[in-house]
Amino acid sequence: MLPAMAKIQFFAFILLYVASNCISVNVDNISSDVRIKNVDRSIDISSQLVKISSKITFENAGKVPVKQFLLAVEGAAKNNLAFIGARDSNNKDLRLVETTVKGHDNVKFYRVELKEPVNAAASVVITSDAVFSKALLPHPTAITQQEDQLVKYNSNLYFYTPYKVLTQKTTVVLNTKSVESFTKVKPFSQQDGNINYGPYSNIEPFTEKELSLHYKNNSPFLTVTRLERLIEVSHWGNIAIEEIIEIEHSGAKLKGPFSRYDYQQDHHSGPASVRSYKTLLPASASDVYYRDTNGNISTSNMKVKKDSVELDLRPRYPLFGGWRSHYTLGYNVPSYEYLYHSGNEYLLKMRAVDHVFDDMQIDELVTKIILPEGSTNIKINFPFAVTRLPDSLHYTYLDTKGRPVITFKKSNVVENHIQDFQLRYTFPRILMLQEPLLVVGFLYALFLCVIVYVRLDFSIHKPEHLKE
Amino acid sequence: MPSAATENKANVPKKGIFNNTTGFSTLITVTVLSLAWLAGFASRLFAVIRFESIIHEFDPWFNYRSTAYMVQHGFYNFLNWFDERAWYPLGRIVGGTVYPGLMITSGTIHWILHTLNIPIHIRDICVFLAPVFSGLTAIATYLLTSELWSRGAGLFAACFIAIIPGYSSRSVAGSYDNEGIAIFALQFTYYLWLKSIKSGSIFWSICTALSYFYMVSAWGGYVFIINLIPLHVFVLLIMGRFSQRLFVSYSVFYIVGLLLSMQIPFVGFQPIRTSEHMAASGVFALLMAIGALKYLHSLNPKGQWKQLLILGGLVAAVTVFLAVVLLTYMGIIAPWSGRFYSLWDTGYAKIHIPIIASVSEHQPTTWSSFFFDLHVLVCTFPVGLWYCIKNVNDERVFVALYALSAVYFAGVMVRLMLTLTPVVCVLAGIAFSILLDLVLREDETPAPTQESDDKNLYDKAGKLKKRTPEPVGETGLGMNVRSGTLIAFMILLMLFSVHCTWATSNAYSSPSIVLASYGNDGSRKILDDFREAYGWLSQNTAEDARVMSWWDYGYQIAGMGNRTTLVDNNTWNNSHIALVGKAMASNETAAYNIMTMLDVDYVLVIFGGAIGYSGDDINKFIWMVRIAEGEHPKDIHEADYFTERGEYRIDSEASKTMLNSLMYKLSYYRYDSGGSPPGFDRTRGALPGLRGFKLTYLEEAYTTEHWLVRIYRVKKPDEFNRPRLPLAKRTIQTSNVMSKKLAVDIGHMTSKRRKGALKNKPILVKGKKVTKLD
Repeated sequence: MLPAMAKIQFFAFILLYVASNCISVNVDNISSDVRIKNVDRSIDISSQLVKISSKITFENAGKVPVKQFLLAVEGAAKNNLAFIGARDSNNKDLRLVETTVKGHDNVKFYRVELKEPVNAAASVVITSDAVFSKALLPHPTAITQQEDQLVKYNSNLYFYTPYKVLTQKTTVVLNTKSVESFTKVKPFSQQDGNINYGPYSNIEPFTEKELSLHYKNNSPFLTVTRLERLIEVSHWGNIAIEEIIEIEHSGAKLKGPFSRYDYQQDHHSGPASVRSYKTLLPASASDVYYRDTNGNISTSNMKVKKDSVELDLRPRYPLFGGWRSHYTLGYNVPSYEYLYHSGNEYLLKMRAVDHVFDDMQIDELVTKIILPEGSTNIKINFPFAVTRLPDSLHYTYLDTKGRPVITFKKSNVVENHIQDFQLRYTFPRILMLQEPLLVVGFLYALFLCVIVYVRLDFSIHKPEHLKE
Repeated sequence: MPSAATENKANVPKKGIFNNTTGFSTLITVTVLSLAWLAGFASRLFAVIRFESIIHEFDPWFNYRSTAYMVQHGFYNFLNWFDERAWYPLGRIVGGTVYPGLMITSGTIHWILHTLNIPIHIRDICVFLAPVFSGLTAIATYLLTSELWSRGAGLFAACFIAIIPGYSSRSVAGSYDNEGIAIFALQFTYYLWLKSIKSGSIFWSICTALSYFYMVSAWGGYVFIINLIPLHVFVLLIMGRFSQRLFVSYSVFYIVGLLLSMQIPFVGFQPIRTSEHMAASGVFALLMAIGALKYLHSLNPKGQWKQLLILGGLVAAVTVFLAVVLLTYMGIIAPWSGRFYSLWDTGYAKIHIPIIASVSEHQPTTWSSFFFDLHVLVCTFPVGLWYCIKNVNDERVFVALYALSAVYFAGVMVRLMLTLTPVVCVLAGIAFSILLDLVLREDETPAPTQESDDKNLYDKAGKLKKRTPEPVGETGLGMNVRSGTLIAFMILLMLFSVHCTWATSNAYSSPSIVLASYGNDGSRKILDDFREAYGWLSQNTAEDARVMSWWDYGYQIAGMGNRTTLVDNNTWNNSHIALVGKAMASNETAAYNIMTMLDVDYVLVIFGGAIGYSGDDINKFIWMVRIAEGEHPKDIHEADYFTERGEYRIDSEASKTMLNSLMYKLSYYRYDSGGSPPGFDRTRGALPGLRGFKLTYLEEAYTTEHWLVRIYRVKKPDEFNRPRLPLAKRTIQTSNVMSKKLAVDIGHMTSKRRKGALKNKPILVKGKKVTKLD
């Protein structure tokens, strides 16, 4: 009964999803009326991620009001794009829809839907944020223990857009002065770990010019290759969260031996290695455990702060380039913070993914939500596009027909994806009594059997010493 | 423990009041036994509370690994499991070389719990199996002792065995080893044996055989049962205590037990092919012969059968003995194995099997460890034994034999203290019960325990006259003497329980893979180096990497590191171990040859010098040398590793061979931290003799935080002497390789290739190389 329903729901969902996709796959045109007056772009490559924040002033040079603009990501970078978003001048998020433009098959377009149309000759300021993962390539690809890690970044010197740009400026944040080489296109300046390019004026649409930087970057290059997040909801007041994390140092590989002596003598030894990192958990998290298949990892500290619980996690060994580690992190949170209900209708609002470390990048995220036994009518809203996997059943203490499990998958996840999903379901509250009654019934039956066994004589033959 | 005593105190007078109801005494029995279970369980949890729920030491890691394998792949796949991760390149047929009882037990529990949707990880079941079974052992001991003496004595014995260090040493939480369940099986088999010999019923004999089967599946110590029970029968025959009950129970037990024990793949045909088992079949044949003679005797009771009976018995005994000896000489029956032989000659292992002698738990027991493991019971159990011999009957003969043989074995090997412990508890329980009877009983009450004995113990009428109702109880002791003795013994028991808790907590509850050290301010610091190293191995080496280490760490590397090992704690192949020992004892070049021969990728050594950990490889090194010398006497000489004065040292006075050995180099390579003079070895209290050396054939791959585990990577042949060049740069080498090949090739091929080689040699490539080198 239940799986069948879940299946139907699942198909319905898929249909809906496909349908909504079909609508968004609408082909857009590049409006020639729109011009970009100014772009102020900042490229932050001081961590392992590339974070580009562009302040764009759009101008409507046409005669009719315009309600939407296009953002473009060049073909070379589109596979590394982890997140893209847009805000208006009031810092409100704008809706972004993926779209295509004829004749530009290799380019990824996003349509920004404004809340209010821009009138003719008026302009609007929009900030777009984009995060790219794995865009920084270590060069050389292997270093010894004592060496610094050098990375290369290749990108576009100009803001890549389907519109004409009147003036633009770019600031590259490196946080280091040791730059091996960088593209020099005048006007440019280098100061305090930043490199400023521009202003450049009158750049035509889709102009590409190589921007290449080769610099020292010893920030942790950690990739979570797989994160499995398990959310188990209990109506008895508790939500248990468990994350199974596989992590890898994705920076320059360690070449040659690892020397404990050097590592111990000199605290600057192994500059590119990762000794520890911080994970932030919700403030109400309790019963935290941190272990792997061989048991508890004893090198961790927990600090309870006002608005979060800060875990200082140290892997069993320092992570050098190419080294991997895996662990399980689990904790409990009280359900009243995340679970709302009215009558038999429940709403679960939780993060689809949570913080692992600053500037994290996750290759593959799998989130599983285990609902109480007997939940039906499950509907879920995702904050971003995910692949939903088939539902399954999970059996644990005192279960009879199994708990529904909702699973979804998403690849290339970064911090900007720490957003809530919303899951609605129906759960008849009377079912809460099922488990206690099961225990009571079992004990009752057991005692009854004992009573019957003790009171009645089942022996075929009476032993001799009892016969008299 | 005091709780048991008070319960028992209440037990005796109350029985007088509620004489007809068994309910009250049952209630007390159940309460005491469950309290004993609880106390035994709780006192074994120190390791879990101090550290975590984790598998301890070495062998348990193998048991855990195979249990996990069985749970994952199913029972039949487990029986057919060929483990290619152990004993590289030989591998190990695990299913046929283990006692599967332990894995089956926890696998069954796991299966039951999971059928009931209780998702407990198999590791937790393994960790808590031994403490849970300690409760079952207590119950089995209670049953055994009540068969022997009285229920009061049984309660004492149950309480003793629940907490006694001699048993908890092998059954703390996390110590997932065969002994944990085997002692239960042992006690229960003995209980059922006594039951069957008392009743002469086939039912109990079959039960004995089944319990024996469980024991066979669980532990190699089953040999103790299959020799002790025949010995019991034999002694009974000598004492002239032959009876139909004995005949039925032994013949049924022997046949069924024999057939069942042969079902265990690891045991196979041993029960009929080895000397260890011959006593049982010999006694069986003898019993049959005597049974036949007795039958003949019963046909004509008046004739001159008595002499014939004795003579016939003697002849049968001699025939059986000679047959066994003959079969041994003919090679049909295997002679005593070395391990077994070392039980009779304590010096045997040291000379012939150094690998057995190298294990600390195979050393002879010291007197102090008797007291440490058994405390006051070691002094009181002879009392119980004396009473048993004084009021002898069939089953008390058994316990006397059990006690005597176990005392002997415990004296030979520290490890066999485990078999002594249960019988000490039984006999001490009897002694304490007698004492309390004596002190607490009112003079006028006519021995109420005796009555209940008759009722409960299914004793046959014929035997009753042999049991003298304790005459000592009626001597009439003064009130002061009674209370004085009572208080003294209560204090003793209290001290006993304090000692048991202390010993279990301090001596036996260390997981040994996690070490804890205490700072001056009492703060605890955890040294987790072993798991750090194994974790590193499991994540950062190739899936099929082969790790060479001394055999002690084989199971842990396989269990936690999940990598292939060369040798492990299942020391079945001495020459393989000797080869590893030889590699460790040779100089780097010779060792490299052995390591390439064995396809070694990584070498793991334990080095305690930085933190003062005494169980490290340098301290074990002399055993590696001895074992290697046993197999390779030409290459390795133990004397070379000592100084001229015969000292074993590592400082500047150490011998050259020692300083150049691979083990020495791997331990002290770039070791310059540690104590106050840099590079000071805290364990040996000396400065290493050779320092600042370089390794040619190996490179440090990982060293843990406290230097405890050091892992080295064995370089590939192209990595030492000359730097590795990428193919594109190898202009000169390529031609070298060519010419080498050419030498083997035939004529016309040569000319063809030479042409090509010349073509591919433009000067441009050389120019490139130079620029890149800049």
